[in-house]
Amino acid sequence: MKGQEWYQADDVAEEYDDKRFSQGGQLIDRREKAAVLEAIMPVEDRNILEIACGTGRFSVMLAEQGADVVGLDISAAMLQQGRKKAQNVELEGTLEFLRGDAGRLPFPDDHFDTVVAMRFFHLADDPKAFLEEMRRVSREQIVFDTFNRFSSRSIYNWALPMGSRLYSKSEVAVLLAKTNLTLVDVEDDFIVPYGFYRSIPNVLASPIRTIDETIGKLPVTDHLASVSYWNTRVR
Amino acid sequence: MKESLLEILCCPLDKHDLELEDAEYATDDDGDETDEIVAGVLVCSECGERYPIEDGIPNLLPPDMREETPA
Repeated sequence: MKGQEWYQADDVAEEYDDKRFSQGGQLIDRREKAAVLEAIMPVEDRNILEIACGTGRFSVMLAEQGADVVGLDISAAMLQQGRKKAQNVELEGTLEFLRGDAGRLPFPDDHFDTVVAMRFFHLADDPKAFLEEMRRVSREQIVFDTFNRFSSRSIYNWALPMGSRLYSKSEVAVLLAKTNLTLVDVEDDFIVPYGFYRSIPNVLASPIRTIDETIGKLPVTDHLASVSYWNTRVR
Repeated sequence: MKESLLEILCCPLDKHDLELEDAEYATDDDGDETDEIVAGVLVCSECGERYPIEDGIPNLLPPDMREETPA
Protein backbone atom coordinates (compact mmCIF):
# COMPACT_ATOMS: atom_id res chain seq x y z
CA MET A 1 0.00 0.00 0.00
CA LYS A 2 1.40 3.36 -0.97
CA GLY A 3 1.76 5.97 1.74
CA GLN A 4 1.60 3.33 4.46
CA GLU A 5 4.51 4.81 6.39
CA TRP A 6 3.98 8.42 5.49
CA TYR A 7 0.48 8.57 6.99
CA GLN A 8 1.57 6.81 10.20
CA ALA A 9 3.99 9.47 11.38
CA ASP A 10 2.65 11.46 14.35
CA ASP A 11 3.75 14.81 12.96
CA VAL A 12 2.09 14.10 9.61
CA ALA A 13 -1.15 13.15 11.39
CA GLU A 14 -1.12 16.21 13.65
CA GLU A 15 -0.57 18.61 10.80
CA TYR A 16 -2.67 16.75 8.26
CA ASP A 17 -5.92 18.72 8.50
CA ASP A 18 -4.23 22.11 8.84
CA LYS A 19 -1.94 21.49 5.95
CA ARG A 20 -4.46 19.93 3.62
CA PHE A 21 -7.61 21.81 4.35
CA SER A 22 -6.74 25.35 5.28
CA GLN A 23 -6.57 28.13 2.69
CA GLY A 24 -7.51 26.93 -0.79
CA GLY A 25 -7.84 23.46 0.67
CA GLN A 26 -11.15 24.53 2.28
CA LEU A 27 -12.71 24.61 -1.16
CA ILE A 28 -11.66 21.03 -1.75
CA ASP A 29 -12.86 19.98 1.71
CA ARG A 30 -16.29 21.51 1.09
CA ARG A 31 -16.57 20.03 -2.40
CA GLU A 32 -15.63 16.54 -1.24
CA LYS A 33 -18.02 16.65 1.72
CA ALA A 34 -20.82 17.82 -0.57
CA ALA A 35 -20.10 14.96 -2.97
CA VAL A 36 -20.27 12.39 -0.17
CA LEU A 37 -23.44 13.82 1.41
CA GLU A 38 -25.20 14.14 -1.91
CA ALA A 39 -24.44 10.53 -2.79
CA ILE A 40 -25.61 9.11 0.55
CA MET A 41 -28.53 11.39 1.54
CA PRO A 42 -30.50 10.90 3.70
CA VAL A 43 -27.71 9.81 6.05
CA GLU A 44 -29.85 9.55 9.18
CA ASP A 45 -29.74 6.10 10.80
CA ARG A 46 -27.64 4.69 7.99
CA ASN A 47 -24.95 2.18 8.86
CA ILE A 48 -21.80 3.52 7.24
CA LEU A 49 -18.23 2.25 7.06
CA GLU A 50 -15.52 4.67 6.02
CA ILE A 51 -12.36 3.07 4.65
CA ALA A 52 -9.12 5.02 5.17
CA CYS A 53 -11.01 7.54 7.30
CA GLY A 54 -7.77 9.23 8.41
CA THR A 55 -8.56 12.10 10.76
CA GLY A 56 -12.28 11.42 10.34
CA ARG A 57 -13.24 14.31 8.08
CA PHE A 58 -16.15 12.39 6.56
CA SER A 59 -16.82 10.02 9.46
CA VAL A 60 -17.36 12.89 11.91
CA MET A 61 -19.53 14.82 9.45
CA LEU A 62 -21.74 11.77 8.79
CA ALA A 63 -22.12 10.95 12.51
CA GLU A 64 -22.96 14.61 13.18
CA GLN A 65 -25.81 14.24 10.74
CA GLY A 66 -27.22 11.15 12.38
CA ALA A 67 -25.49 8.20 10.73
CA ASP A 68 -24.00 5.29 12.68
CA VAL A 69 -20.43 5.32 11.46
CA VAL A 70 -17.38 3.10 11.77
CA GLY A 71 -14.13 4.72 10.64
CA LEU A 72 -11.28 2.39 9.70
CA ASP A 73 -7.70 3.37 9.05
CA ILE A 74 -4.26 1.80 9.16
CA SER A 75 -2.76 4.67 11.14
CA ALA A 76 -3.25 4.97 14.91
CA ALA A 77 -1.90 8.54 14.81
CA MET A 78 -4.55 9.67 12.32
CA LEU A 79 -7.33 7.91 14.27
CA GLN A 80 -6.36 9.63 17.52
CA GLN A 81 -6.79 12.96 15.70
CA GLY A 82 -10.22 11.76 14.62
CA ARG A 83 -11.20 10.86 18.18
CA LYS A 84 -10.18 14.31 19.39
CA LYS A 85 -12.24 15.91 16.66
CA ALA A 86 -15.27 13.79 17.55
CA GLN A 87 -15.08 14.80 21.22
CA ASN A 88 -15.53 18.45 20.31
CA VAL A 89 -18.75 18.09 18.35
CA GLU A 90 -22.31 17.00 19.01
CA LEU A 91 -23.02 13.67 17.32
CA GLU A 92 -26.60 12.81 16.33
CA GLY A 93 -25.51 9.30 15.41
CA THR A 94 -22.68 7.10 16.68
CA LEU A 95 -19.01 6.92 15.74
CA GLU A 96 -16.35 4.29 16.36
CA PHE A 97 -12.78 4.24 15.11
CA LEU A 98 -10.60 1.20 14.58
CA ARG A 99 -7.34 0.14 12.97
CA GLY A 100 -7.58 -2.38 10.21
CA ASP A 101 -6.56 -3.52 6.76
CA ALA A 102 -8.92 -2.42 3.96
CA GLY A 103 -8.12 -5.68 2.17
CA ARG A 104 -9.20 -7.86 5.11
CA LEU A 105 -12.06 -6.10 6.86
CA PRO A 106 -13.04 -7.31 10.35
CA PHE A 107 -16.78 -7.31 9.60
CA PRO A 108 -19.30 -9.93 8.48
CA ASP A 109 -20.79 -9.94 4.95
CA ASP A 110 -23.42 -7.31 4.07
CA HIS A 111 -23.14 -5.51 7.37
CA PHE A 112 -23.17 -1.87 6.24
CA ASP A 113 -25.68 0.09 4.15
CA THR A 114 -22.93 2.22 2.66
CA VAL A 115 -19.16 1.97 2.38
CA VAL A 116 -17.27 5.20 1.69
CA ALA A 117 -13.65 5.39 0.49
CA MET A 118 -12.42 8.90 -0.27
CA ARG A 119 -8.81 9.59 -1.24
CA PHE A 120 -8.22 5.88 -1.03
CA PHE A 121 -7.99 4.37 -4.50
CA HIS A 122 -5.06 6.50 -5.55
CA LEU A 123 -3.07 4.63 -2.87
CA ALA A 124 -4.40 1.16 -3.70
CA ASP A 125 -1.97 -1.29 -5.30
CA ASP A 126 -4.73 -3.79 -6.09
CA PRO A 127 -7.93 -1.77 -6.59
CA LYS A 128 -10.06 -4.75 -7.62
CA ALA A 129 -9.28 -6.72 -4.47
CA PHE A 130 -10.07 -3.72 -2.26
CA LEU A 131 -13.32 -2.96 -4.09
CA GLU A 132 -14.38 -6.61 -3.79
CA GLU A 133 -13.76 -6.54 -0.05
CA MET A 134 -15.80 -3.34 0.29
CA ARG A 135 -18.59 -4.93 -1.66
CA ARG A 136 -18.52 -7.97 0.62
CA VAL A 137 -19.41 -5.87 3.66
CA SER A 138 -21.84 -3.51 1.87
CA ARG A 139 -25.54 -4.28 1.44
CA GLU A 140 -26.37 -1.38 -0.79
CA GLN A 141 -23.93 1.30 -1.77
CA ILE A 142 -20.27 2.14 -2.31
CA VAL A 143 -19.06 5.73 -2.71
CA PHE A 144 -15.48 6.59 -3.69
CA ASP A 145 -13.32 8.97 -5.68
CA THR A 146 -10.51 8.57 -8.16
CA PHE A 147 -7.84 10.89 -9.49
CA ASN A 148 -7.92 10.89 -13.23
CA ARG A 149 -5.36 9.98 -15.79
CA PHE A 150 -5.09 12.36 -18.76
CA SER A 151 -5.66 15.39 -16.54
CA SER A 152 -3.61 18.16 -14.99
CA ARG A 153 -3.19 15.72 -12.09
CA SER A 154 -0.70 13.75 -14.18
CA ILE A 155 1.74 16.64 -14.11
CA TYR A 156 1.44 17.40 -10.42
CA ASN A 157 1.55 13.78 -9.42
CA TRP A 158 5.29 13.14 -9.42
CA ALA A 159 5.84 15.56 -6.54
CA LEU A 160 3.70 13.73 -4.00
CA PRO A 161 5.39 12.06 -1.00
CA MET A 162 3.03 9.07 -1.04
CA GLY A 163 2.87 8.50 -4.79
CA SER A 164 -0.47 8.22 -6.48
CA ARG A 165 -2.37 5.95 -8.80
CA LEU A 166 -4.40 7.56 -11.58
CA TYR A 167 -7.42 6.02 -13.28
CA SER A 168 -9.14 6.47 -16.61
CA LYS A 169 -12.93 6.36 -16.74
CA SER A 170 -12.92 3.09 -18.65
CA GLU A 171 -10.66 1.46 -16.08
CA VAL A 172 -13.15 2.29 -13.35
CA ALA A 173 -16.07 1.11 -15.51
CA VAL A 174 -14.33 -2.26 -15.93
CA LEU A 175 -13.64 -2.44 -12.19
CA LEU A 176 -17.33 -1.83 -11.42
CA ALA A 177 -18.43 -4.49 -13.88
CA LYS A 178 -15.99 -7.03 -12.47
CA THR A 179 -17.17 -6.43 -8.91
CA ASN A 180 -20.89 -6.44 -9.76
CA LEU A 181 -21.49 -2.80 -8.99
CA THR A 182 -23.92 -0.57 -10.86
CA LEU A 183 -22.98 3.02 -11.54
CA VAL A 184 -25.61 5.40 -10.16
CA ASP A 185 -23.79 8.65 -10.77
CA VAL A 186 -20.34 10.03 -11.49
CA GLU A 187 -19.33 13.66 -11.05
CA ASP A 188 -16.16 15.21 -12.37
CA ASP A 189 -14.50 18.23 -10.92
CA PHE A 190 -11.35 20.28 -10.43
CA ILE A 191 -9.61 20.92 -13.69
CA VAL A 192 -6.89 22.54 -11.62
CA PRO A 193 -5.45 19.84 -9.31
CA TYR A 194 -5.90 19.89 -5.51
CA GLY A 195 -2.24 20.69 -4.81
CA PHE A 196 -2.56 23.96 -6.67
CA TYR A 197 -5.43 25.14 -4.46
CA ARG A 198 -3.46 24.36 -1.35
CA SER A 199 -0.46 26.33 -2.49
CA ILE A 200 -2.20 29.60 -3.34
CA PRO A 201 -3.42 32.30 -0.94
CA ASN A 202 -7.10 32.39 0.02
CA VAL A 203 -7.84 35.56 -1.92
CA LEU A 204 -6.91 33.81 -5.15
CA ALA A 205 -8.48 30.43 -4.39
CA SER A 206 -12.10 31.52 -4.80
CA PRO A 207 -11.73 33.41 -8.09
CA ILE A 208 -9.70 30.60 -9.63
CA ARG A 209 -12.26 28.09 -8.39
CA THR A 210 -14.99 30.14 -10.12
CA ILE A 211 -13.11 29.93 -13.39
CA ASP A 212 -12.51 26.22 -12.80
CA GLU A 213 -16.24 25.63 -12.22
CA THR A 214 -17.22 27.67 -15.27
CA ILE A 215 -14.86 25.81 -17.58
CA GLY A 216 -15.88 22.56 -15.93
CA LYS A 217 -19.49 23.09 -16.99
CA LEU A 218 -18.59 22.98 -20.67
CA PRO A 219 -19.23 19.46 -21.94
CA VAL A 220 -15.99 19.25 -23.90
CA THR A 221 -13.88 19.67 -20.79
CA ASP A 222 -15.30 16.67 -18.97
CA HIS A 223 -12.26 14.51 -19.59
CA LEU A 224 -9.93 17.22 -18.29
CA ALA A 225 -11.27 16.97 -14.75
CA SER A 226 -8.70 15.78 -12.24
CA VAL A 227 -11.15 14.13 -9.82
CA SER A 228 -14.21 11.91 -10.23
CA TYR A 229 -16.71 11.10 -7.49
CA TRP A 230 -18.36 7.69 -8.02
CA ASN A 231 -21.70 6.63 -6.54
CA THR A 232 -22.35 2.91 -7.07
CA ARG A 233 -24.95 0.39 -6.03
CA VAL A 234 -24.49 -3.25 -5.10
CA ARG A 235 -26.15 -5.46 -7.70
CA MET B 1 -14.46 1.72 21.72
CA LYS B 2 -18.03 1.15 22.89
CA GLU B 3 -18.80 -2.36 24.07
CA SER B 4 -21.52 -2.57 21.41
CA LEU B 5 -18.88 -2.45 18.64
CA LEU B 6 -17.98 -6.00 19.69
CA GLU B 7 -21.23 -7.25 18.19
CA ILE B 8 -20.14 -6.35 14.68
CA LEU B 9 -16.39 -6.97 14.84
CA CYS B 10 -14.98 -10.26 13.66
CA CYS B 11 -11.55 -11.75 13.01
CA PRO B 12 -10.09 -10.20 9.83
CA LEU B 13 -8.52 -13.54 8.92
CA ASP B 14 -11.36 -16.07 9.25
CA LYS B 15 -14.36 -13.80 10.12
CA HIS B 16 -15.19 -15.71 13.29
CA ASP B 17 -16.46 -14.02 16.47
CA LEU B 18 -14.10 -12.26 18.84
CA GLU B 19 -14.10 -12.56 22.61
CA LEU B 20 -13.10 -9.74 24.90
CA GLU B 21 -10.41 -10.42 27.54
CA ASP B 22 -8.79 -8.27 30.23
CA ALA B 23 -11.15 -5.39 29.53
CA GLU B 24 -10.63 -2.04 31.21
CA TYR B 25 -13.53 0.37 31.13
CA ALA B 26 -13.50 4.15 31.29
CA THR B 27 -15.14 5.71 34.33
CA ASP B 28 -17.53 8.65 34.40
CA ASP B 29 -17.38 11.68 36.71
CA ASP B 30 -18.90 9.67 39.59
CA GLY B 31 -16.27 6.98 39.23
CA ASP B 32 -18.73 4.48 37.76
CA GLU B 33 -17.72 2.25 34.88
CA THR B 34 -19.07 3.23 31.46
CA ASP B 35 -19.53 1.01 28.39
CA GLU B 36 -16.40 2.59 26.85
CA ILE B 37 -13.53 0.08 26.68
CA VAL B 38 -10.09 1.70 26.89
CA ALA B 39 -7.89 -1.39 26.97
CA GLY B 40 -8.12 -5.14 26.53
CA VAL B 41 -7.62 -7.91 24.03
CA LEU B 42 -9.98 -9.31 21.39
CA VAL B 43 -9.40 -13.01 20.84
CA CYS B 44 -10.67 -14.97 17.85
CA SER B 45 -12.87 -17.85 18.99
CA GLU B 46 -11.65 -19.96 16.08
CA CYS B 47 -7.97 -19.30 15.31
CA GLY B 48 -7.01 -17.78 18.69
CA GLU B 49 -5.38 -14.70 17.12
CA ARG B 50 -5.18 -11.81 19.60
CA TYR B 51 -6.03 -8.22 18.70
CA PRO B 52 -5.16 -5.51 21.25
CA ILE B 53 -7.28 -2.49 22.15
CA GLU B 54 -4.80 0.41 22.33
CA ASP B 55 -5.80 3.77 23.82
CA GLY B 56 -9.45 2.92 23.25
CA ILE B 57 -8.94 1.99 19.60
CA PRO B 58 -9.09 -1.70 18.67
CA ASN B 59 -6.24 -2.80 16.43
CA LEU B 60 -7.70 -5.31 13.97
CA LEU B 61 -4.70 -5.26 11.66
CA PRO B 62 -3.81 -8.82 10.66
CA PRO B 63 -0.59 -9.99 12.39
CA ASP B 64 1.49 -9.73 9.20
CA MET B 65 0.79 -6.01 9.00
CA ARG B 66 1.23 -5.23 12.67
CA GLU B 67 5.04 -5.35 12.87
CA GLU B 68 5.55 -2.91 10.02
CA THR B 69 3.02 -0.51 11.45
CA PRO B 70 3.86 0.52 15.01
CA ALA B 71 1.15 2.51 16.85
